[in-house]
Amino acid sequence: MIQLQNIEKYYANKGVKSYILRHVSTTIQQGEFVSIMGPSGAGKSTLLNILGMLEEPTYGTYEFMGENVVSLNERKRIELYRNHIGFVFQAYHLIDEMTVAENIEAPLLYKKVGSAERKSRVAEMLDRFNMVAKRDLFPNQLSGGQQQLVGIARALAAQPLIILADEPTGNLQSAQALQIMELFRKLNEEENITIIQVTHSEINAGYGNRILHLLDGVISEDLQVVV
Amino acid sequence: MFKLNLKIALRNLWKNKGYTFINIAGLSIGMACCILIFIFINYQLSYDQQFANKDRIYRVVSYWKYVDGEEFQSGVPRPLAPAMRNDFGMLEEVAAIQRSGGIFKVKDAAGLVRLKTAEEAYYIEPQFFKIFDYPWLQGDPQKALAEPNTVALSREMATKFFGNWQTAVGKTLEFKNKDVLKVTGVFEDVPENSSNPIKIAIAYAGYEHSKMKSWRSVSSGSQCYILLTKGSDIADLEGPKKAFMNKYYTDKGIGKEDHFFQPLAEVHQDARYSNFAHKTTGKGELAGLLVIGVFLLITACINFINLATAQAVSRSKEIGVRKVMGSRRKQLMAQFLTETLTITFFALLVACILTEAALPGMANLFKEKISFGLFSQPVIPVFMIGMVLFVGFVAGFYPAMIMSGFDPILAIKNKVSIGNGGGGVLRKVLVVVQFAITVILITGTLVILKQMKYMREKPLGFNPSAIAMVDVPSDSLSILKYNLLKSRVLKESGVRSVSLCSTGPSSGDSNFGNFTYNHSAKDADFEASIKTSDENYLQTFGLKLIAGKTFTKNDNLKEIIVNETLLKKLSVSSPEVAIGKIIQMGGDPVGASIVGVVKDFNNTNLREPIAPILIEKSTGPSTTTLAVKMDTRDIPGVMKNIEAIWNSVYPEHVYDSTFMQDDINKYYESERVMGTLFKVFAGVIIFIAFIGLFGLISFVATQRTKEMAIRKVLGATTLELVNMLNSSFMIMVLLANLVAWPVAYIFIDHWLSRYAYRIELSVWPFITAMSISMGITLMTVSFRSFKAAKTNAVDALKYE
Repeated sequence: MIQLQNIEKYYANKGVKSYILRHVSTTIQQGEFVSIMGPSGAGKSTLLNILGMLEEPTYGTYEFMGENVVSLNERKRIELYRNHIGFVFQAYHLIDEMTVAENIEAPLLYKKVGSAERKSRVAEMLDRFNMVAKRDLFPNQLSGGQQQLVGIARALAAQPLIILADEPTGNLQSAQALQIMELFRKLNEEENITIIQVTHSEINAGYGNRILHLLDGVISEDLQVVV
Repeated sequence: MFKLNLKIALRNLWKNKGYTFINIAGLSIGMACCILIFIFINYQLSYDQQFANKDRIYRVVSYWKYVDGEEFQSGVPRPLAPAMRNDFGMLEEVAAIQRSGGIFKVKDAAGLVRLKTAEEAYYIEPQFFKIFDYPWLQGDPQKALAEPNTVALSREMATKFFGNWQTAVGKTLEFKNKDVLKVTGVFEDVPENSSNPIKIAIAYAGYEHSKMKSWRSVSSGSQCYILLTKGSDIADLEGPKKAFMNKYYTDKGIGKEDHFFQPLAEVHQDARYSNFAHKTTGKGELAGLLVIGVFLLITACINFINLATAQAVSRSKEIGVRKVMGSRRKQLMAQFLTETLTITFFALLVACILTEAALPGMANLFKEKISFGLFSQPVIPVFMIGMVLFVGFVAGFYPAMIMSGFDPILAIKNKVSIGNGGGGVLRKVLVVVQFAITVILITGTLVILKQMKYMREKPLGFNPSAIAMVDVPSDSLSILKYNLLKSRVLKESGVRSVSLCSTGPSSGDSNFGNFTYNHSAKDADFEASIKTSDENYLQTFGLKLIAGKTFTKNDNLKEIIVNETLLKKLSVSSPEVAIGKIIQMGGDPVGASIVGVVKDFNNTNLREPIAPILIEKSTGPSTTTLAVKMDTRDIPGVMKNIEAIWNSVYPEHVYDSTFMQDDINKYYESERVMGTLFKVFAGVIIFIAFIGLFGLISFVATQRTKEMAIRKVLGATTLELVNMLNSSFMIMVLLANLVAWPVAYIFIDHWLSRYAYRIELSVWPFITAMSISMGITLMTVSFRSFKAAKTNAVDALKYE
């Protein structure tokens, strides 16, 4: 599903190149649950951003579903966002001015899903995450864990093939974090959604089936997790 | 503390250079316009205010009430001044002043004419100088003008006539080729802002009509000033006035006459009455300017408030920290107000430069000598300080209150949100107000320009192009030479037609009189405008006859031409019926027969409807003008030849001429000024409003960067994001249009109602104003929001 070849990313500053990523090549199959780990500054987030097409690599090729997406134009990239990719952020990044239900509905609006269909999907999401009672609350009225649930619900609403999560539990207490991880595993196993997450936590990484260790921009280890 | 505040204020301003620039640009332009308006209004109000007795001086003016209207007249009957002096107890002084003018000649010792010039002069009673304390350089004002044939000159005139004003007293001048006047005094030049621009004061005792007894003959040239005794009230004169009116107005005219006492301050400001300076600036115009000035200031203040409250969020951390450190709310407010005042002060400096730069243009537009003297006119710096304080506090107070009121804990965490609170709503309301003002001004400008175009292009019923109006003298000797002058000018190649007349078809001066039609027992119940001319009048001005023919050449036949309106008012069924009927004017026992009916033409400016008109055949003393219709090919050449001919026919007089077209354009001077003012101020307000908008959208875009980034990764296109940011602004501007329309409609309809001939108010100016405002908003906002929508989502979504 995802094929990275020789991905490099550096910032040139006064002629000095500071590398973030070097020679990153890997393949991720549909249905994998991958955790990217590594110390701060190893380039985890940058790799995830490149996977999410939020950043462009300096060199290398990136094929997403058999299509080279490195220099994809904006319209096509947005098509991919709308149909295949869901993002989950550490800081949740919900839209503060919108209610829970509206937040979940937002990607469907951009995907031009019909009104009736939207309503049913939002209802389904709310039901699935036990948030029906909170549908009209604003994000700042929810706890961090609940906000992250909304964030995931929003990512799932558009029925993506892949979820990219950047430290999804970084701001959460451990109990809530476990809940989120359970959810990810469930999504991965039951709906065959590909999940790629950046995490610091060995425990979180344990929920996945593959771990990529990054060190100074290079993949130092590629482990399969055996349950 | 203040010094520290100032230092921090300067640093903050420097840090947010963009906002500082927008604030200073908007405020300084707004303030410059206000200073200009203030200077102008201040100058207009300074008219005639230099006299010690100014609060007790009144001008006596005349008023008539007719069946179908009223007339205001700055002049009074000539016997009025002596009669008032006699009958009123509460008047300290009464003085008549009579406008005159003509040729002045200065002869040298050998009796040769050294200088010949046409000047305006006034016959003035000595009491006039008791009422008005003009500074005299030489001579005693009470004695100087006591005797007939004495004259006092202003410093400028004395220098012009005799080279040196100190030597003028005792010398002589020849006036109108007959009177020899002895110079008995010199007074200081009358300032520009004076309604009585007296340069030559001749003793009233020498005025030929000074003993005239007629109470029915009133000219705007004969005016009368009174000085109230100390401690009396002008209202107390009403009783004696009633008795006075009954005593002197014994025979009944067609109108009911009255006299009013006009305070000196209003002589310049009441456009219903003229004055000797021919300059009036109505209170309406001053009020209009004042409103525009206030609008400008409000617009600039709104920019300020909007940007300051928008910016408040980004400063919330600073505020929180300060509060935690122990700053009191008052101290914080002091700090923010210091910042505002600093900005306002910088804006004032820029505004002074702009004012200085714009002043010549403004002086030129108003044809007034106005100046921007910071030190010579102490009221200007006072006004400026007042304005800085006003703007500083009005614009600064609200943001300071909001910011200083933040909860410190939330503020430190940067969790203050103004966008959803009351501040956001207020900001929206202010933007709507600002744009409503802008739209009102745009609409007003469009309508004024349209009305001006309409007045320029409306057919007047005659052809005013390529017609020179040459003044001719009308004393009995000069009248004898009329035919000579006419035939010599007519022979000139390039001259198509000439006519001797009292006035052109359209003229600001018109002479109204009553008359009887067809031997009716009593006068018609309206007055007609009376013009006199020879038989070439219709041809020269291209007037069309609808019945009858023009005058015959025979001077002995008394003939008259009337216009359609006159017949309509007399209820004459058709023009043919009127031909041959007799018109009698001013008790004339024989009368003149109507030989023709002329198609209606506009006889004055288009504010007035067409008057009933009588054109009398005459080349007598009422003739003032030789109208010369020329080929358009070589007008300057032909004019030069006409002047040469004129000077050889009238060597004793001074040549003067104007063009008919210029005279007509002069009617619309105030429209021209208003049009220019509106264009400039509308431009300025649009500019201020839109830089404010730009500032605001920049802020909103920055504030919503995170949201936009989220939406972007959710799959929003750039266009969708731009739309999202724009729509709230577009809705505000649309709302502003809706608010502005009724207000603009009321203003415009009121303004247009002054015109008898006016454009129909269509929806187009409103639609155009809406498209302009929406168009510019869209452009301004899109520019910024497009940039915001294009920014990289990753940067915005970094951890907080």
